[in-house]
Amino acid sequence: MKIVSYLIIIAIIFILPLTTFGSDGGSSDPFSQTKFVPAISFIMDVSYLSRNLGNFEFTGFEMPGFIHAGHSNGHAHSGSLLNGENGFNLNYAELSLFATVDPYFDLFTAFHLGEDHFEVEEAYVTTRKLPHGFGLKIGKFLSAFGRINAQHAHTWNFQELPLVYRGFFGEEGLNEKGFQLNWVAPADFYLSLGFELFQGENSTSFGLEGMEIVNEDNGSEIEVEGAKGPGLFTVYAKTSVDIGDLIILGGVSYADGETRSIHETESGEHALSGRSRISGLDITMKYLIDSYRYISLQTEYIDRQFEGKFYEAGSSEGSEFSRSQSGFYSELVYRFSKLWRTALRYDLLNRNNVLINGTDSELPEDMKRYSFMIDYSPTEFSRIRLQYNNNRYLYLDGDLKNFSELNLQLNISIGAHGAHPF
Amino acid sequence: MKRIKLIVILMILIIGIPSIVDAKLRVVVSYNYIADIVKKIGGEEVVVTPLSKGYKDPHYITPRPSFIAKMRKADLLIINGGQLEIGWIPPILKKANNPRINPGNKGFLDLFSFIEGIDIPKEISRAHGDVHPDGNPHFHLDPENILIVSKVIRDKLIDLNLSNKDIFTKRYKEFSEMWKKKIADWEMSLEKFSGKNVVQYHKNFDYFLKRFNLEQLGTLEPVPGIPPSTKHILEMIEIINNKGAEFIIHDVYHMKKPSRFVNRKTGVKLVVLPHDVGSVDEAIDIVSLFDEIVRRLLK
Repeated sequence: MKIVSYLIIIAIIFILPLTTFGSDGGSSDPFSQTKFVPAISFIMDVSYLSRNLGNFEFTGFEMPGFIHAGHSNGHAHSGSLLNGENGFNLNYAELSLFATVDPYFDLFTAFHLGEDHFEVEEAYVTTRKLPHGFGLKIGKFLSAFGRINAQHAHTWNFQELPLVYRGFFGEEGLNEKGFQLNWVAPADFYLSLGFELFQGENSTSFGLEGMEIVNEDNGSEIEVEGAKGPGLFTVYAKTSVDIGDLIILGGVSYADGETRSIHETESGEHALSGRSRISGLDITMKYLIDSYRYISLQTEYIDRQFEGKFYEAGSSEGSEFSRSQSGFYSELVYRFSKLWRTALRYDLLNRNNVLINGTDSELPEDMKRYSFMIDYSPTEFSRIRLQYNNNRYLYLDGDLKNFSELNLQLNISIGAHGAHPF
Repeated sequence: MKRIKLIVILMILIIGIPSIVDAKLRVVVSYNYIADIVKKIGGEEVVVTPLSKGYKDPHYITPRPSFIAKMRKADLLIINGGQLEIGWIPPILKKANNPRINPGNKGFLDLFSFIEGIDIPKEISRAHGDVHPDGNPHFHLDPENILIVSKVIRDKLIDLNLSNKDIFTKRYKEFSEMWKKKIADWEMSLEKFSGKNVVQYHKNFDYFLKRFNLEQLGTLEPVPGIPPSTKHILEMIEIINNKGAEFIIHDVYHMKKPSRFVNRKTGVKLVVLPHDVGSVDEAIDIVSLFDEIVRRLLK
């Protein structure tokens, strides 16, 4: 019997190549599907980082009221962040496939690959046939909230998301399952309105899952009820006008959803349950000097209001909890030749009012970062970037820890031609 | 919520009404030369909106949000094709939510698909720079190709607006007869350069050079889209010195420094040629674009 299986294997090895590569490269195959291969692009991002702070300290610090210390609640470790580690980082690889499905849909997918993980970052269809300027997007995708949220990492002007995005939506922005209905007005200027309904699982501001907090000393439990999905909606309006070679784009956005989150701290578990309302205002002004050079100024202001309950292990019931926080960033980009760009960015979280049972927690209100970058793009498919960050936003036990980062980044893409971002 | 609904309905009415009243065929085109051909044939019966400006590098048009608004209302989108618009048309076309002008539908026209491309690369690799797999996309600088695409545009306008068939046909006939005479004039004017060598900065004028029998020695860009290196410039200077050349042809949007340098080192005349309607003041339409190219070469 063994000999028979060997013979089969040998037969497969020798016959298979003959069948797949016919006399003229497979084109003689009447069932060949190669012409239907979707557009494929692959992007790789690597960096060399120098930070005057150890990796353990970096993730051990927190942004009070926004982001908890990384290694105490068990998720984020520095390797999973962009530019997480001192030294060499493979920040991500991104594989995209896209094609027209049929007369009615287009499909776009982006797979986010880490060294040891595979993630469906986006997978959605868009409609091709809806009349009257309507468009529908269904699947998992980056929300159109704000200006930078829907952009992929390789099109950002800096290596990481602004602080205010990280603080409200986390490292990957607002990326959710659901649908978007958008409408473009038949006007002489650009006006687009949209509504999105999402599951609402973003762990930084939203979340649905109920939880149980156990007090290890006396074994008492508090049960926090979960919420049913979909738990989040957004609405937005974007508009733009041209004044000659000056392009102005502005937008207002609003996200409203259920919040359920649980964190483990040194004093035990605590949980939040309630509702978060996030509003955003963005404006971009871009002046085109000629075909290659431009100056652009981009600013976004985002505000978060949370009302709900705060549960702590040990206490018998939840406390009234509210937070009112806001922040913004502003970035100035100058592309001074076809190949070179330079940019400055200022990040600030300017308001951080957290009240527990009406008492102000007196959290720091002045978390900020200064960034500078210069990048060189030999072609549209490769970019080398040097960035410096002066960081004043991480705290350890209530003390501000300043640190600096210097980062050299290489971003490469192959395959299908990406679109020039606006 | 009721108030929001009311506002939305009001806005739809305010913004929507003007577009219903205006019943002309709305044509959006990527480049100015296409706009001019559409105007010549469509005349008063169509409203044509070019997206880019003539003096910009056609490869690097910034996809402005206002383009989305223009495409949203279009009945017809005409592109140059040959992947010249690959970096800027696809995202705005997608965002425009206008099924009329999606590829495959009646309101989408790719001119390059009617042209016999030249310089079709045997090997498709970006090691050769900004390659266009279907051939050089700057076909419109061969005046014979203008005849082909103006006929294609006539047919498309008739297809979408049958009631104006006669006037479109009449205008096309006038235009094509005039254009054939112009080609004969340009051929006569440029005959003295037949067989002469030229150098280009970018592979912009290949179709033009081929039509008027000018020989290409090479480009100052080592490969398309990559700025000249010192080494390559020196090689080109040597080639020019050995073989002799009549012109260094440069476009209006690239930096002229490398071409000026070669001009100084070799003494070969540097001419800046318009590539599109609106790229220089003199090129106000498709006819004056070619007139101006010829004038600058003869000057």
